[in-house]
Amino acid sequence: MISRRVQYELAGRVAAPFLTKLDQWQAARKTKHPKRPTSGLFGPPLESARALKALMTSYYLRGRYADGAVPVAWVTSGFPFEPLEQLGYFIIYPENHAALCGARKLVPKISAAAEQEGFSLDLCSYARTDLGNVLKQATPVGRLPKPDLLCCSTNICQTVLHWYRNLADYLKAPLVLVDTPFIYHASPEHHLQYVVDQLEEMIAVAEGIAGRKLDRQQLVEVLARSREGSMLWRECLATGRAHPSPWTGFDTFFHIAPIVTMRGTDKCNAYYRHLLDELRDRVAKGIGGIARERIRLLWDNLPIWFNVRELSALLAERGFNFVCATYSNAWAEAGCSIQLGEPIPSMAKAYLEVYLNRDLANRLETMKQLAREFDVQGAVLHSDRSCKPYSVGQIDVKERLASDLGIKALVLEADHCDQRLYSEEQGKTRLQAFMESFDG
Amino acid sequence: MRSAYLESQKSQQGRKLMACLPIFYPKPVLTALNICAAEVWGPPGPPRSAEAGRIQTYVCPIVRNALAFLAGRSAELADGLLCPHTCDSIQGLASVLPDFGGWAKPVIHFIHPRGPRRASTLAYLNQEIRGFVKNLEAFAGQSLDPNRLRWALELHRQIDTLAAKLLARRAYLDVDDFTLYTTLRKGEYLWPEDFFEELKRMDARLSDTVVQKGLPLLLSGIVPEPMSLLKNLDDAGAYVAADDYAAIGRRILPHADPPPSDPFAALVETYFAAPPCSTRASSIDGRREHLSRLAAARGVKGVIFHPIKFCEPELFDIPLLKRRLAELNIPVLVLESGLESELSGQTVTRLEAFVEMASNHGSQA
Repeated sequence: MISRRVQYELAGRVAAPFLTKLDQWQAARKTKHPKRPTSGLFGPPLESARALKALMTSYYLRGRYADGAVPVAWVTSGFPFEPLEQLGYFIIYPENHAALCGARKLVPKISAAAEQEGFSLDLCSYARTDLGNVLKQATPVGRLPKPDLLCCSTNICQTVLHWYRNLADYLKAPLVLVDTPFIYHASPEHHLQYVVDQLEEMIAVAEGIAGRKLDRQQLVEVLARSREGSMLWRECLATGRAHPSPWTGFDTFFHIAPIVTMRGTDKCNAYYRHLLDELRDRVAKGIGGIARERIRLLWDNLPIWFNVRELSALLAERGFNFVCATYSNAWAEAGCSIQLGEPIPSMAKAYLEVYLNRDLANRLETMKQLAREFDVQGAVLHSDRSCKPYSVGQIDVKERLASDLGIKALVLEADHCDQRLYSEEQGKTRLQAFMESFDG
Repeated sequence: MRSAYLESQKSQQGRKLMACLPIFYPKPVLTALNICAAEVWGPPGPPRSAEAGRIQTYVCPIVRNALAFLAGRSAELADGLLCPHTCDSIQGLASVLPDFGGWAKPVIHFIHPRGPRRASTLAYLNQEIRGFVKNLEAFAGQSLDPNRLRWALELHRQIDTLAAKLLARRAYLDVDDFTLYTTLRKGEYLWPEDFFEELKRMDARLSDTVVQKGLPLLLSGIVPEPMSLLKNLDDAGAYVAADDYAAIGRRILPHADPPPSDPFAALVETYFAAPPCSTRASSIDGRREHLSRLAAARGVKGVIFHPIKFCEPELFDIPLLKRRLAELNIPVLVLESGLESELSGQTVTRLEAFVEMASNHGSQA
């Protein structure tokens, strides 16, 4: 236990900073001797990207040695994690890990183990990736620590519940559930009380595994950091209202990682302060995310992780830029509404009322608000085979965006992680036709 | 025939008619308030209107067909729509219809809890049922009489007890599967007293000796569609000895005897006592044990998993359930249903091959 703890601390304090320095040194050498000229489609790359890489490298490196050193929890992305943070858990977000695998185009290979086990290709590709990794330990981050606790909240989808029920069986780990009744228009009082009660049940289980009681005063401090992080992220996103936007929606998909995986920590907030400074500086200097921003777009649903670069280049060529995305925006919502005076009830409310746990009328209003605030002329709705709750209703939403706001919208069928479920040529043709419609 | 019956429920019995999406809802409350439930399981076959195009083709066909049916004005008889929170896709449908057009009549939600019985879920379900009652009272235009609710609970207890008996003694029942399931599925729209009479008529056909000679199979899925599957099995020399369909066996609730004096407590208890189901997020271990017990009790020689295509709750459970059945040396076939009208020739061949293989399975060992 002690040696494991030493390994864990060394990974975070020594190995990760060393690897970061090495990476920076290599990057500097590459800058001196560039292999190929930049395409000229994009603005200068964000300097913060290096800090982001360092932060995430450190996170996953520490994670390799976390089990046996500190309690480990695997958690869904919308889970009210703050009590776990206070109790000293190392928290792994399998969705973030799967996205990373998706961005590196590794999902077909990793998912194969799950598919051989009998998991259908029609199931969420995040889940298949995670289950494939559990079955065959195939991950680009070395290894994920074995969980002492699995934590699942249904506020983003029911899929995670079925996915985590399987994880509990394969990993022989206890599963705690925070079930969040879906909100049609408004939430009755007993729905909120239900979430409050479950949070208390979850805390009791987490305390038992951690071997200590939750310090409720310190929980307030974690919540304060969590809220500050969400607010900083919201301010970062808000810089996209500038013309030109200092970054692209695709950039936000990558810079979202700390708010997903490290919310509630000083590291996370320090990172977003740094990013915000850089974005504001770019706005002041008129530096855009793409070189020639002509048409501003909204993105709906998760990214197509394996095709982000190709899509951004295709769009940038014609001066199209995603300046806002419902997915990135969702991460600026929950944390901001936490009231520190009533930690548990306000956590319950904040996590109950997340974007994906609300009806389509609410989602349409959010999209319309984003479209107005970010001054967009069009929208691309990613119809994501892996994410039914996000995708059902998009065909009507497309019509309503057109009729209510007069903006053009395209439904683009793909998958967030599995390139086998995306016809790239067909998608490209549809996007090109969509872009041409703006010039007609 | 169904429409004529439902029309008569309204015009002759003075009942309100509620179109109900699948799967779990406290039906005795509707019965007590004189509301006739007519469930919408698609319906099967091609979508009844172009409205299905409002939901992507990679979404569950029950949901797409239900949208086509409801928004295509095929359910004009219904006075309202009940949407239990069964899965992400039904959750979406329950918002698409009222928010974006296709259903202008009242919509009532029932959001049952997920996961195991615990203090929070018990308290929540009790409150959720009470809220559900209030909404139904407003819909029905009358208050719920506690004695009437007790009467409805007793009626549904008798229905469940008889349906459970028919399934448990399937081998002694001198009817084919198609006939039995046609009767059992009448519970999806018949007024409960009428349904009880149907079950009693079926009960009269129970024999003292085993009459089913085919290969005993267990079928597990959401809904037995297409129903022609049952005829195909019969033709292949098999019969359904054990049922684990969400539409049938998983909704046959065990009732406490004597029931709790508080009818709300009785509704809560029966919910948690129900056979395990993926859509209520029962533990996989619970499902494994349930299927193992069913298979052993009915002498099952093979299991057919018959999920609806794109149904995440069901598809997620199948690998671990298959693993357990392999340990028990029980052959398994997975047959996805697209809610088509008939099985394709290729699928019928797969079924026949499976029955033949399962028939020989024990003898080769």
